[in-house]
Amino acid sequence: MSGIGAALLNSLDIGLLLFIIAVGLNIVFGVLNIINFAHGALYMLGAYLAFTLINIAGMPFWAALILAPIGVAILAVIIDRVLLRFIYSRDVADSLLLTFAILLIINESVRMIWGSGIHVVQPPDLLSGSVQLLGSSVATYSLFVIVIGLLLLAGLWYLFNRTRVGRIMRAAALDRDMAEALCINTRLVVTGVFAFGAWLAAVGGVMAAPMRALDPGMGDKIIIESFIVVVIGGLGSFPGALLGAIILGLIHGFGGRYLPEVNLLLPFVGMALVLLFKPNGMMGKGANA
Amino acid sequence: MKSISIKKLMVAMTATATLGTAGISYADDPIRIGGLYILSGSAATYGEFAQKGIDLAVDEINGSGGILGRQVEMIYEDTQGKASVAIQAARKLVYSEGADALVGLDSSGVAQGMVPTMPELQKPLIITHAATPDVTGKLCNSFTYRISVNVAQNMKAAALVAAETDATNWTTIGPDYAFGHQSWEFFGNYLKEINPDVNLMSETNFPRFGAEDFTPFIDRVMDSDAEGVLISVWGGDLVNFVRQANTRGFFEKDLEVMFTVGAATEVLTALGEEMPEGVHLSTRYWYEAYDNDINERFVKAYLDAYGNPPSYNAEGAYAAMYAYKQAMEAAGSTEGPAVAKALSGMSMEAPNGTVTFRKGDNQAMVSPNWGVSGPMHPEHGIRTLNNLQIFDGEKVARTVEETGCKL
Repeated sequence: MSGIGAALLNSLDIGLLLFIIAVGLNIVFGVLNIINFAHGALYMLGAYLAFTLINIAGMPFWAALILAPIGVAILAVIIDRVLLRFIYSRDVADSLLLTFAILLIINESVRMIWGSGIHVVQPPDLLSGSVQLLGSSVATYSLFVIVIGLLLLAGLWYLFNRTRVGRIMRAAALDRDMAEALCINTRLVVTGVFAFGAWLAAVGGVMAAPMRALDPGMGDKIIIESFIVVVIGGLGSFPGALLGAIILGLIHGFGGRYLPEVNLLLPFVGMALVLLFKPNGMMGKGANA
Repeated sequence: MKSISIKKLMVAMTATATLGTAGISYADDPIRIGGLYILSGSAATYGEFAQKGIDLAVDEINGSGGILGRQVEMIYEDTQGKASVAIQAARKLVYSEGADALVGLDSSGVAQGMVPTMPELQKPLIITHAATPDVTGKLCNSFTYRISVNVAQNMKAAALVAAETDATNWTTIGPDYAFGHQSWEFFGNYLKEINPDVNLMSETNFPRFGAEDFTPFIDRVMDSDAEGVLISVWGGDLVNFVRQANTRGFFEKDLEVMFTVGAATEVLTALGEEMPEGVHLSTRYWYEAYDNDINERFVKAYLDAYGNPPSYNAEGAYAAMYAYKQAMEAAGSTEGPAVAKALSGMSMEAPNGTVTFRKGDNQAMVSPNWGVSGPMHPEHGIRTLNNLQIFDGEKVARTVEETGCKL
């Protein structure tokens, strides 16, 4: 039975990393009503900035975990003020096109700045190696990812349910005009939410850097996974992102281990089933949640 | 009104006349060669290696008088790793840019799609990387050549290495597309031929290409009865695989581990000491495997120019330029069909020794390299290869009948 424990922990570590990334995508959609194709590129930027800070500037991992996401969030503010603000009032399709263009620009910039080679980042000494848990050896860093994922989950729940900032964000998501009428500076909210989504993507990127190889296509890989999470869980839903990410984590963790023949198919079967029976996702807008 | 139509007619006639002469090249015009590589996305590093190899060759060739007294000019197009993009790019290179010949292709999928369109373009193509046996097999044609090792050759060599070990139960971990599946199929067939007692396990592992997390598959192999495992995961995936396998203790198990593209310098550079010692690593060209003047010059020039040792992909692309030089000079022209004909059966000296394009299928008889990972190289920052084996390109190749190629 040791295999099940290992597969479970592996699923959680894949799932919670996906949650960190997908929840940012969902928050941005919920408040700004745009589907941010460039979200994966922002995740990649987080990872590459961490690589620069750790491997080139010689900073400790912890400093990179703080600084890299802030850097990406600042870039997000610029993207929002220079480009995105012109399309908020337009159709969703326009935001798809624009964020896709941003994705291409970031991808190529990463290739020009850091080259097309493969880079790796070492986990901090404290988290390298593995420990015995549930009858099998588990990478210490995987446990760290699980802990950070759970902390962020708790933090986000608190933010949305217990703080004024969270309530303002929810109000802006529900009805932006009404929020404006109630003297909420929605422009600030919009920029802030986009930067916050980018910050989450970059945190995911820094977290992923010590366990995933860095290459200029890493953002494209994660954005597809994130979209599957969002479709399964429900676009714009916070608990949906968690549910979708955990389901996808379990599909990868157990599917690869016990059903390798159909493992490629499983995420898409899951997605198709959800779309058939719950077209808005398991916890999406319009679903019973 | 009448004068305008005559004017139009004149313009049209001039245009037609220009079109007609576009095919005729003048001695002063450069020879244009089109390069089709992956230049963006995850695998862009492979295209860049090819460009580095080609740039070196073009500089050398142009520095010593060019080809047929003409300078060589490269034009690159990004295939994005997609067959449809590559086909379009090849047409653009030939019809709009006036390319006399083509080199390239990093992906088996792209090669399978593009090769059948070559006879229509009437220009020769030398494949420098894509390894699917099909393009010098059932899809072969008289315009398509390959200067790099193919899957069949490398898996024959792999089977010979595997047969020397004590392992009887073999399984695989490979990317879930043509490359992973064909690697296992050819490896299994050859190994069974050499040693009928081996057991090819039905439990095989084909994770998605770009899967990022390979832990479930690593665990599955560790819990199985496998004694030997053929791993055809490559590039960034391989870097992820090795690092995750390290944390699981995969390499401490009593397993014969064979990486079919493990000695690729980009992977070894990224991994450094994380690539364990004592595993079997293969590459289509290992820079320290060949003791000849051309290789010495090539490796030195590459190290001087770029600071790290050449990858197999750089070598293949470098050699392809010299193949065109020799073929065009033998044909005395740059006409597509004539150059293609000159390539058929041609022998040339390359960094990896004497290379011959076999007449029957246009596959170069080149040698797969296998070795066992050893201590770190003191200067290059990558693992060295011990017990290096350079397999005879001719002996590990399929016979022309086996390839299914009919030229």
